[in-house]
Amino acid sequence: MAAAVPLFWFLLLGAALFCAGLYGVLANRNLVTVIASLELMLGAVVLNLVAFARYVEPVRVTGTAFAIVVYAAAAAEAALGLALAVAVWRTESAVAVEERRG
Amino acid sequence: MMTSAHIAYVIVAVLTLGAALRVVTHRRPFHAALWLALTFVGMSAIFMFLDSPYLAGVQLFIGAGGIAVAIAIAAAITKAKMREATQSKAHRRSAFLVSVVLFAVLSWMIVQLPLPEAPPMLPADEGLAHVGAALVDPQGYLLPVMVVSWMLLVVLIGGLYLARRR
Repeated sequence: MAAAVPLFWFLLLGAALFCAGLYGVLANRNLVTVIASLELMLGAVVLNLVAFARYVEPVRVTGTAFAIVVYAAAAAEAALGLALAVAVWRTESAVAVEERRG
Repeated sequence: MMTSAHIAYVIVAVLTLGAALRVVTHRRPFHAALWLALTFVGMSAIFMFLDSPYLAGVQLFIGAGGIAVAIAIAAAITKAKMREATQSKAHRRSAFLVSVVLFAVLSWMIVQLPLPEAPPMLPADEGLAHVGAALVDPQGYLLPVMVVSWMLLVVLIGGLYLARRR
């Protein structure tokens, strides 16, 4: 299925996923759901990178290399964020996003 | 003209977007993590439409297999006794407004842009060989790979430090 679908369909899907993730980050109080929404936003970024790489420069590997780096960053961010959530939960037995007292 | 590829793309995209909306609106974080796994599976199907079977596999391994499962486990550990899973109603409304306005601006820009047609593709195996060579090539992406591997090491140590029992 060599590029049967026009590029802007992929870009629109990426924008929609990014905005859904943004809503999740802003509207949720639970830290775990906020991290899930952040992963959604990073996934949308990777989708855009790969789509542009496929349609603009398929011969060079820039898009794939960037996507791999973003994946590593996403996995690291999820690991650290979840470790923070568990640490907060141990001290306060809640993982709400709000002001903390030191 | 609608071909079967168009129809398949629309079905996969609608499934992915629907799962993503369930992730951000679900009240229980464990269910949100499961919907996130479905979203990542849908994204990996989208990568197949972009002729990137390698990245589709990476997305399945890291996204659905790693990140979504880690979030599900964290949601199960931190069974939070929370009065409210979401922010206040006014807060949610402004968050919705921000997201919708951003999406409107982005889609207006995307529709305005003169976008290129897809050029022909290298054979898939050759493409992957190029990726592997470029990742360890000092003239290519060796520096980002080194930085990322250091970052992963730091994150590993930091995660252990944060999660240790005090």
